This record gives sequence, C-alpha cells and structure tokens, in this order.
Amino acid sequence: MRKINYKNFGIVLFTILFSLTACEKFLDLEPPFSQDADNYFTEPSHYELALIGAYDLLQGSFMNLWIGEIASDNSIAGGESVTDSQGLHEIEAMTHGSVNRELRSVFQWNYAGIARANFILENKNNIDFDGKSQIIAEATFLRAYYYFQLVKYFGDVPLVIDKRLGADEVTEIERSSKEDVYAQIESDLNFAASNLNAVNPVKGRVNKWAALALLGKVQLYQNKFAESAASLDQVINSMQYSLIADYRNLFVVGNEGHSEVVFDVQYSGLEGGGYGCLICLEGNAAPGFQGIRQYNGPIYGDGNSYNLPTQDLYDSFEAADNIRRDATVLNLDSFINQQPNATSITYAIGGGGHTGFYNNKYIKKQGEIGLPDNDLTSPVNNIVVRYADVLLMAAEAHNRSNNDAQALLYLNEVRARVNLAPISAGGQSLTEAIWSERRYELSGEGHRFFDLVRTGKAATEINGFQTGKHELFAIPQIEISLAGGNWNQNSGY
Amino acid sequence: MMKNLILFASILFIGSNLFAQEGTVTGKIKGQDGLSIPGASVVEKGTTNGVATDIDGNYTIKVSNIKTAILQFSYLGYATQNIAVAGREKIDITLAEATTDIDEVVVVGYGTSTKKTLTGATSQVGGEDVEKLNVARVDQALQGQVSGVAINTNSGSPGGASSIRIRGLSTFGDNDPLILVDGVVYDSEGLNALNPSDIASVNVLKDASAGIYGVRAANGVIIIETKKGALNSAPRVEFSGYYGVQNTARRLDLLNATEYAVIKNEALGSSGKPLPFNNTALGEGTDWQDEIFQSAMIQNYNFSVLGGNKSSTYSAGVSYFTQDGIVGGDKSNFERYNARLNLGNQLNEKFKLNSVILYTNEERRALPENGIGSVLYNTINAFPNEPVRTADGRYSYLEEVTDIINPLAQIENSENLSSTNKIVGKEELIYKINDNFTFTNRVNYNYAAVDFKSFSPLVWYGPGKAQNTALNANLDPTQVEIADSVFIERGAGVFESRSTFVDVTAESYLNYERIFNEDHSVKGTFGVSVFKRYGEQLNGSAFNIPGNSVDFADISANLAPGGFLNNTGSFEYEERLLSTFFRGEYGYKGKYLASLIVRRDGSSKFGPNNRFGTFPTISAAWLISEEEFFKLKKITFAKLRASYGISGNDQIQNFAYRAQLDGEGVYVFNDVIVQGVAIGRASNPDLRWESTRQFNLGLDLVVGDNFNITTNYFIKNTKDLLFQPEVSAVLGTNGPGGQSPIVNAGDVSNKGIELELAYYSDRQKELKYSVSFNTTYLRNEVLKTPEGVEFIPGAAFGVGGGVATRFEEGYAIGYFHGFETDGVFQSQEEIENAAVKQEGAKPGDLRFVDQNGDGVISFNDDSDRKEIGSAIPDFTFGFNVSLEYKNFDFSMNVFSAVGQEIIRNYERQQPFANQLDYVIDRWVGTGTSNENPRVTDEANRNGEFSDYFVENGSFMRIKNMQIGYTLPENLTKKIKSNSIRFYVAVNNLLTVTKYRGFDPEIGSAGGPLAAGVDYGFYPQARTVMGGFNFKF
Repeated sequence: MRKINYKNFGIVLFTILFSLTACEKFLDLEPPFSQDADNYFTEPSHYELALIGAYDLLQGSFMNLWIGEIASDNSIAGGESVTDSQGLHEIEAMTHGSVNRELRSVFQWNYAGIARANFILENKNNIDFDGKSQIIAEATFLRAYYYFQLVKYFGDVPLVIDKRLGADEVTEIERSSKEDVYAQIESDLNFAASNLNAVNPVKGRVNKWAALALLGKVQLYQNKFAESAASLDQVINSMQYSLIADYRNLFVVGNEGHSEVVFDVQYSGLEGGGYGCLICLEGNAAPGFQGIRQYNGPIYGDGNSYNLPTQDLYDSFEAADNIRRDATVLNLDSFINQQPNATSITYAIGGGGHTGFYNNKYIKKQGEIGLPDNDLTSPVNNIVVRYADVLLMAAEAHNRSNNDAQALLYLNEVRARVNLAPISAGGQSLTEAIWSERRYELSGEGHRFFDLVRTGKAATEINGFQTGKHELFAIPQIEISLAGGNWNQNSGY
Repeated sequence: MMKNLILFASILFIGSNLFAQEGTVTGKIKGQDGLSIPGASVVEKGTTNGVATDIDGNYTIKVSNIKTAILQFSYLGYATQNIAVAGREKIDITLAEATTDIDEVVVVGYGTSTKKTLTGATSQVGGEDVEKLNVARVDQALQGQVSGVAINTNSGSPGGASSIRIRGLSTFGDNDPLILVDGVVYDSEGLNALNPSDIASVNVLKDASAGIYGVRAANGVIIIETKKGALNSAPRVEFSGYYGVQNTARRLDLLNATEYAVIKNEALGSSGKPLPFNNTALGEGTDWQDEIFQSAMIQNYNFSVLGGNKSSTYSAGVSYFTQDGIVGGDKSNFERYNARLNLGNQLNEKFKLNSVILYTNEERRALPENGIGSVLYNTINAFPNEPVRTADGRYSYLEEVTDIINPLAQIENSENLSSTNKIVGKEELIYKINDNFTFTNRVNYNYAAVDFKSFSPLVWYGPGKAQNTALNANLDPTQVEIADSVFIERGAGVFESRSTFVDVTAESYLNYERIFNEDHSVKGTFGVSVFKRYGEQLNGSAFNIPGNSVDFADISANLAPGGFLNNTGSFEYEERLLSTFFRGEYGYKGKYLASLIVRRDGSSKFGPNNRFGTFPTISAAWLISEEEFFKLKKITFAKLRASYGISGNDQIQNFAYRAQLDGEGVYVFNDVIVQGVAIGRASNPDLRWESTRQFNLGLDLVVGDNFNITTNYFIKNTKDLLFQPEVSAVLGTNGPGGQSPIVNAGDVSNKGIELELAYYSDRQKELKYSVSFNTTYLRNEVLKTPEGVEFIPGAAFGVGGGVATRFEEGYAIGYFHGFETDGVFQSQEEIENAAVKQEGAKPGDLRFVDQNGDGVISFNDDSDRKEIGSAIPDFTFGFNVSLEYKNFDFSMNVFSAVGQEIIRNYERQQPFANQLDYVIDRWVGTGTSNENPRVTDEANRNGEFSDYFVENGSFMRIKNMQIGYTLPENLTKKIKSNSIRFYVAVNNLLTVTKYRGFDPEIGSAGGPLAAGVDYGFYPQARTVMGGFNFKF
C-alpha cells in the first residue's frame, strides 16, 4: 500500500514540476501595448513620430532666454530668493562653477535632443518612402541646432553622430574640438538646407531658410564673414520674410507665425505641468517665470519675477528709440502710474532682486494664459531666429567682409521700422553701430551674452567677467565624472 | 462453535498482544482556574494519533500500548505536558498557562516549527498583543514589540500607511518586506484591509532563513496567520468594540499676531523697505492650529465566532472600523468593513481542505499632506494677523506669500475619495499520504478593485496662488485656446479611475517528517510555486461640472463643449514568478539542529540573460542546555544559533531590462499638441536582482521558568543594488519621459545587535505581571555607489533649494549633507577679522564652518558641506508591561528611538510666512544671540541648508496605556457569558522629545532618501478610548 502511494505521489509531483520547468516560457512576457526601441522604423509613420520626439527638446529654449540675458549686462536673475534657481544667481554674479543645475540642464537637454535625432538618422536607410528626405533633413537640422547650443555654452563637446551610445561606451568618448563640432554643424546644416523644401506648410516645422539662417549664424560665430553673408543673403533674397510694421506686436500670441519668424520654438497652453520637470512642459516657462510677482492689475498676469532687465539696459536706448525700449523693458511703476486705477494695482518684490523693470517681450499677459499652473504653460512661442536678427547678422557679415554698403542697407532697414534715422558710418564704427543695434533690437531674446562673448566685449560690459574663463561655461562636474572622469574642465574653472 | 470463538478470540488476543496492548484513555483537561479547556489537543507521542477535547474539556483516545504510551497534552498559550499513561485509563490534567513559550508552534515558510527547534532568527507577536493595542493596522502593533523591526508611520492621517523595515534599509528602492497573510502576498499598503483582531499570530523572519522565499526575501518576511477554530470545540462567540476621541498630541509654538508683526517689521525694515505694520499691537491674532485641529472620533466593533466539530473547524468574523482625521474631520476619514471566514474540513482520513476568504471594503478620504502645499504646511506658514474669514465672509487670501493658501479654504475644496473592494482567499488541499509524507496543494488569490475620484472645483485662493483654478474671485472659468484663436471655458474638473489588481499564487509542496532510531529527526520540504500578478487601470478626467458642485462630480455630468478638454488614460501590467524550493532539516538527539534551504526563482522582471537565480541558506543550532555537561541549573534552556544565506530583491519596474518607446515625445505643430515617440528608459539586458548576504549569530536563553532572553548579532550586506543612477547626459536619457537605465551597482551594509528580554511572573499568584524589553542597535552604511556617481541626490531643502539628503559611500542611506554652523556673526568687525571669508555675510548672519580649510566658504560647490545628520536611529527600544490583579488589568507599551535627526523643512523661507517662536530669540545686535540669525529679507545665506535646520529627533513615546476590569464570574454567568471586560485606554499618551515639530516619529513617505524630512507631518493623534469585550 505504502509503496503505491509513494509512486503515485512521485508521478503527480514529477508531472507538475516537469510541466512547469518545461514552461519557462511562462516568464516570457511582452510589455502590453508598447513598442521596443529596437525593431522600430518599419513604416513611414515611425519616422514622423520619432521626429516629433526630436523636436520636443527645442522646448527647453526658455533656458536660453534666461541664461543669455542673465549672464549679460541686460538682466539680473530675480525670483523668490537668492537660493531660488541658485544657478541663475551665480551666473548673474559670474560666480558660476561646475555645479550648476541650470547649466547642467542645458547640457542634458541638448544631448537628449541629439540622441533623438540620431535615433532617426541611424535608421535612415531602413525603408524608403515619399517625404523621407524631408524628415531626415529636419532631423539633421535639429541635431545641428542642439550641437550649436552645446558649442556656444561649453566649447569642446563629445560628438556622437548617427548612433545611440551604450552605457559602457560613454566612458571612452572624448570631447571633440570646437572646430570639429562646428564642422559637423555646418555639414548638417548644409545638408538640411539643400534637402528641405522652401516652404513647409506645417507651422512649427523648419524649412530651407531656417537652415540657411542658422548656418549664417554659425558661420558668423566662427568669424567666417563672407560665408555667413552668402548664407544669410540667400534667406533675405528668398523674399519669404519681412519686418512687421509694429515692433510691439512681435511677441503676441495672436500674431504668431508673422512674416518675421524664420525659426521659432512652438509652445502650447493646453497641457498642465509641474515644476519638477520643466523640459516636460508643452508651455513656455519664460513668460510666467518672467511675470510680475503677485501682480494684481490690468494687462499682465502674475508671475515669478525672473530675469529682470537692468537699469543699464533701460538707459542704454537712445531717446528716439522709445518704441523698442518700451516694448523690450517694462518700467513697472511708470506703467502702473499711467493706469486709471493705479492705486488699486499691487505687486510684490521678490527676495531674489528687484530692478523695477520686467522683460516686456516674454511676459505673462492676460489673454495669453495657459492651463494652471499657468506660470508654466504660456503658449507664447520663442522666436529663435527672427528676420531682424538675420538682417543684422547679414549687416555684420557684410561689414566685416568689407561690404559696408550692403551692411548699411540691412542695418537701416531694421532702424527704419522703428522710425529711427539711418546710419551712415563705415568700417569699425559701423561694426560698433551694428553691435549696439543688436542690443536695442534683440534684448530680452537670449542673444546678448553670446554676442558679447563673440565680439570680445564681454569683459568690458559684464561685471565680474574674466577673460579666458567666462567665454565658456564650466562643463558640469558630474557630467565629467559620469563620463569616466577623463575630460579636462574648461579653463579657469 | 464456542470453541472456535474462544480460539478466535485468543488468537486475536495473542495477536494483539504480540504487537501492543491497545487501550483507551479518557479524562478531562482543565486550566488552573478550574475551567475546562475545550479544543485542547491530546496526542500519543511519536505518532500522529490524536484527538481534541470536547466542549466540556473531555477526551477519549485510543493508544497503541497502554503501558508504554506517552500522551502529550497541549493548548495554545499553555505549557505542553507529556504524561506517561503507565496503564491508567483515566488521566485528568490541569494545564498551566505557558510562561516560556519555547514549545509554541511557529509558522515558517511552507511548514511549521517550534521556537525550540528553530534555527533562524525570528520574532513572534501573539494575536492578543496585537488586539490589545487598539490600532487600525497590524503593522502599527508591531512597533516596539520585536527587535530588529522598525515601523514608521508615514502619516498620522486615517488610513495612512507605515513603512516597515526589517534590519535597516538595505536598498535604495523598495525596502518593504514580503508580507504573507495565510500564505497570500500583501503589500504594506494592503495591510489596511486586515482587521487586527482577526490575527492569531505574527512571525517575522529576520535573517537568511527568510531565504525560503528566494528572490523576494531580501527585506525579510512577515508571516501573519488569522484565527482558526479547533476541532471538537464549542462555539466561542466574541463581541468587542471601542470608541475613542482623538486630538492632536502636539501644537507648534508659532508666533502670534503681535510677535509676527514685530518680527516682520524688523525683517523688512532691515533692508530699508517700508514697515508693513504701523501698529504691531495686534493681540494674539488667528491661531491657525486652533482652526485646523479638531477632536475626531475613532471606533471599532468586532463580532467573531470560532469552533469546530469532529471533522471541521470554523472561524468567522465581521468588523467595522471608522476614524476621522484630527485635521479635516470627515474629509480625512477612513472606514473599513470586513468579513472573514476560515474553514477547515477533514474530508476523510487522508484529505483535509482549508479555506480562507476575506472580504474588505475600505473608503478613504484624504487631504493633501506631507509636502509643500499640504494643509499643515499652509497652517504653519499662514499669517496670524489675518482672520480666517474677512468681514464680507470670504476666506482670507494670505496674499503676501504666493504659495501659501488659506488651509481652511483648502480643506473645503479638497475632495478625494478612494474606495476599495477586496477579496483575499485561499483554498488548500492537504493530502496526508502517510505518517511521514504530507502533500499540500493550494491556490491563494488577492483581488482588489480600487475606485478613485477627485473633484477640483473652480476656486480662487487669492491673487497669484498657483492652486487657483478659477480666473478670478468671481470664479469665472479660465479660457483655454484649443486651436488657433478658438477658446473654450474650463470649469470645475473631476478625475476618476478604476483599477484592478489581482494576484494568484499556486503552490504544491511535499513535507516529510520522520524520526529514525529515536535520535535522528529529519524534516524535508520540497515544492514549486507559481505566482502571477497583474493589474490595470482606466481613468478619465472631465471639465465643466455643473454648479461647480461636488454633488455633480462625475464624468457623466460634464458639460465641456464637445468634450474637448476631457481626457482618458489607462495602464496595464503583469509580472510572474516561477519557483522551486527545498528545505532539509536534521536534528540529532534534539541537541544539534541543522537546516539547508535552496530556492530557485525565475522572475519576469529580468531579461533572458538573468532570469533565474538560486538562493541558498544554511543554518544550525545547538541546544547547549540539552548537553549532559550543562550544569547551570538556573538556565533551563540555552540555544546557540547561526545562519548564513543569500536572498534576493526583485522589486523594480517591469521590463526594465529592455528599452521601450515609452518616453515623452510631444511637440506643437499648427498650434496643436502632437504626440510622437521617444525612448523612455534606456535598456540594460544584463539587469539582475539585488542579493543580500546575511550572517546571523544568536543565543536564546530561558532563565528559570519565566525569564526569556534572545539576542542576535547580524551582518547584512546587500550587493548589486538596483537603481537608476544618473548617467552621462551624452547617452541622451535626460529628455522628457527619459530615464536612466536601471543598473546593478552599489552595496549597502547593515550591522546590528538585537536583544529581547521577557519576564513573566508566577501565573499561580494573585498578582500576575509580565515585563518585556527589546532593543536594536543598527549601523547602516553605503559601501559602494555606481562608477562615476559620487552620490545619489535625495530630498530637496526648501523651495527650489539644493539637495539635502544623499546616498553616498561611507555614510548611512539618506544622510543629511549641508553646512555646519558656528554661531552667528556678532559684528562687522568679527566678519572682517574672521580667518574664513564668507561672502555676503553681515552681522547677525549664520557663520559657516570652512571644512576644507581654504579660507573661503564655497557656496557653489560641496567643498564646505559635510554630514550633518541622519534619519536612521542608532538605537530603538521597546518596553511593555502588563499587570493583572484580581479583576483588574493594566498594560503599557513604550517605544523609543534614539540618535536620529530630522530636517525642519516645514517653514517657508519667505519674508511673510509665519515662523516658530524660537525666532523671538533672534540676533538683534552684538551679543544678543549666538544661535538664531537676524531676521531680514535682504539677500542672505541663512537659508542655505545647514545644521541650523537639523534637529535632534530622538524620542520616547508611551504608545498605549490601558486599564481594564473583568466582571466577576458569578455576575458574568448570570447572563451566560464567559467573560466580560471593560477598559479605558490612551494611545500616544506622552512623547518625550526635543524635536520642535508636530511628531518626531516621521516616516519616509517619499522613499528611503526622504526619510527625516519634515514638511509638516500629519501627526499621530492622542486617542482616549473606552472599550468592551464580551465572550460567550
């Protein structure tokens, strides 16, 4: 009896065990309703969808609006306290070092954009379909844009092209020289310019002229004046763009996509968000952050008092230039005093600094407010390349490649729009005039610091700027460590 | 014929005589109180022959040999007695209540053992001890009861969960132990579903003997058994309940209106701004704490019955529990209905069927808590000079600080309700193959449906408040542009979700038990286990709820034009585990015990490269007191134990080994948000489980009859920690929805000593008492971080501030990292003459210590920051006393934790936010204070994270004190009751601490790296309650 039981039992157990161990497939689960990163790009829509992902990182551009201004003589960091976005306060004071959250964001976000563009480009030969060359050209443009940000901020940076890096490869990659990075950017932009259509009917997607304008800028940053002039002239001669009549309407939501926009970053007010992940926002963080602190009054909305223009900027405008001055810098108390109910209008002063001025280009306004928390969800697009900038860059490129006549033509076109008398200088004094004009025309748009560095004026204009050090920001120390610790830090840090 | 019969009878007689002299023994079992004990067990020793006593405590058992048989009499809570029959046919026994419980049966994984023969380090808590504490959740009852187990309440709000840590934090991620209730897997959140009165026993496997659960055992295992009936026992009916009133045990010392006005005038005046208060004589002003805290009820009622007949046992119960919050009252309510049925059926000689079914309905309302923006955070920071409501009846706006809103308005506008229906069950078929083999097959399941709804009305908290959902004070809805220049209204919103969570475990195992040649006892367990867990959710949100009213808060009622703003979402997941396990135990002469456990687990969490893992454990014990040479008469029992083993932790996200397109690739084309794809988390095909190697050395002693000592020393090293360290930006994972790959990197060590002492007085005497004490010393250290990662950042300090806690080599997990202060600068002269340059310092500012000796305080790197605290206590103590005298009983439980620190992070560092009154003793001029800095709204560095914000978090708390009275028996009998007891109790009577916040016992709701960061913790209430317990 007993023996039989043993046997029976053995058979039962063995059967169960065997069927289970044979069923190691039991553990082969597939993630429900999601796709693997490998084995993608099997149909045209995949390229389109991945391209949207690559565009997404453009939305970190509000950081350029902050750093490009705060690092310069144009504005102070502001905010709730000196420890609120401490990195920006350090940049304002030129005490920034290798530990700086905002600078690290710039480093991280642009590489994320590059990785997403590379994800498409490494798979560009998988299939063929109509419209592929546009998508590939747009991805190439985006990669160039992201590398340009990196090289402007950090100089030499690692160059990853057409592939995704594995975690183990990252410790072996070196910083490529600035020259190599620029060469790659130019090559990408040339490719993009020759493959992109002249007109892209979808608002927000780049066209041939955006690529050429960015190329002209990249060339100007390398002092390749003749090449820059040639690139920018193509944009100007395309007759696709013109200055709009009223300077004050440049940054109004209702007027977006106007004739002066060569390349802008698109934002929407239709998705909420949190402070924990600014790069996840679909809204533009700049207008809300740059809004008037606890403001209760007409026209504007309340915000976080970031990136406050300086008295120096306000005073620098010539008297006749009041259109641009007032459209660029909001003199808050003077504005309030002009309102009929001035005494009932209130606002607060942030602990991070107060100048009495607010950035009037990117500022939270009633009627342009996104979903709550609306400090984070402004629908205002960030115009990265504006036609006036193209004209001024072209003017500078011509002037510095000995074509003052053409330069004056472009410069005075910009001045005429705001009813300023033409300039008739030449040579170096024309160069100086163009550089000054850039400040009056483009302040508040994130160009100033990089212009000052590029033109060698930073040390004279920015308090605390040390030549030989502050032209570049420090590579975030942690990024050096995470990449194996082999990179040299930028000089002076 | 007659002859034949006689022959036959004599053959029978001779035949039976040849083998044994069969006989029948009868008798009665009583307790020392003279009452009979039904359901006690009588077993012929060395056999499986056994019976249970009937309702009157009588038994009848046939024994194989009436001369040599030994009968073993046992009943839970009583000392087991072995009596040689020696030919007697009637044996009456009086069982003594157990004082030492070394013979107590302990449920271990896939089998049972006794305390005497266990080779691993475990701790037990009896059901009575759990019930007595009158807590909402069983884990709260474990605090201070056993060594090595740290229970921290993550929130004092009703229904709030606890964090359970066995022998310290061993990982960066999920530190929860595996919790099994009647073999069914629970998560710590799910413990809410369990009624503490239903619990029969809790056993905590602390050391490597937990390895029988393999890849899920690294954080220890808690095995909970619910109450079951006994064979042949009369129904025992029990009805119990309590009602209590809760109040906050603590209020913060905040500034009143006058003090506030003076301080704020000084702060703003110091930077040359106009003084905000012309008149500072504002009296006391509003005490926001008075407004927010309230008395709240708590009540609980249980009805249960258990018993059994000769072939089946039952235990059934229903219970109701409800608790309002001391903040928010019924807006912070937790309610639970619970029904339970445990059945045991002896189908025939060979088969037994056990069934457990538990149904729970839980409803929980919650307010925003434990964070910036929580109700208590707003309460602390609200201005005392503002009334709760203005003259025209609206809530005051607290305008001067943007992100502080009126906490009462916040409560009024918070509507969150989650409702859970849960069924947990087990069907177990035990096949007793023969005396040695038992084959168990069971299916355990857990089904929970969770409905959640939150309503967000249009609300205006004041100008500039981020929490505003309306456009203005008239509650006009915001306008949303849904396409170029197309605007629609966005009114009140509702979010609803319905989630289902299911898990099923199917297990088959064979137990073998045999004693060879009297001296060699062998036990074996071999089995397989298949586990599957899946869940899904469907959720939706809708806007424009009519009337801005919670009465219409349902998606179906929405009036959003065209439904344009409404949204839906869903998720689904599944994970599986496939396991085989073996345990072999060998004992020689009851003196030397050894055990080997091997478990092999396959987990769907890992890729094909590393799907299977094998986890071995060895342990041994030596019962020194059984040795002949052992001559210490005072010590009646001594056991030395050692164990070593490897267990795993697989608690990470599913599919972490592969890269998926689940990142966020969203952009705006033609003014419309368009969805693209992006890589989410980067892949790591070599991902594997964390492994914990644990060594334990323990000693169990019993001195005399009634003094137990248990001590353990352990080293627990966790390797291959699963976490997501930062990776180089060049990998491109820092975009929206991007994540670093999960990697195995980092080691953590926990070392500690545990001591448990328990003394029970003589049960025969009129005054009975017992005293127990336990303590744990723990040292936690991170041994390794991933390559290139100096530290993993944890919780932030303040708003937009730096990282205050870290995971870093050489320090405890989540230690605090910041500046050390050295008093306050008293004068400009002192600043100028200081050897260390502190940029921007003014008289009255905190003086920081130059750690690297370079003569400058560096604010923008780490060179002058250091370790300034840790949330992990050095020592914890538990102390429990109970007394019984005549009809009175008294008990008290004390818990204490010493050596931990807390970050005071509930003060908004803002010019107008209210503050604790220590600021009154601020620096106002040379020599006035060397502790508290000046108050100013000038730019300063006093808000940098420093030891100024770190407080001593040590505390001692009387968790429960109870006095009961049992009615005299003669009275009780008149209403046919066995026992009637009434009691009054106080939970959380007294807390001794220097900590200035609400409650020093703050958990780690934000994970191990956020432990010890106080955002305005929802404190545990002080509860005064009265209760009763009727037994029939």
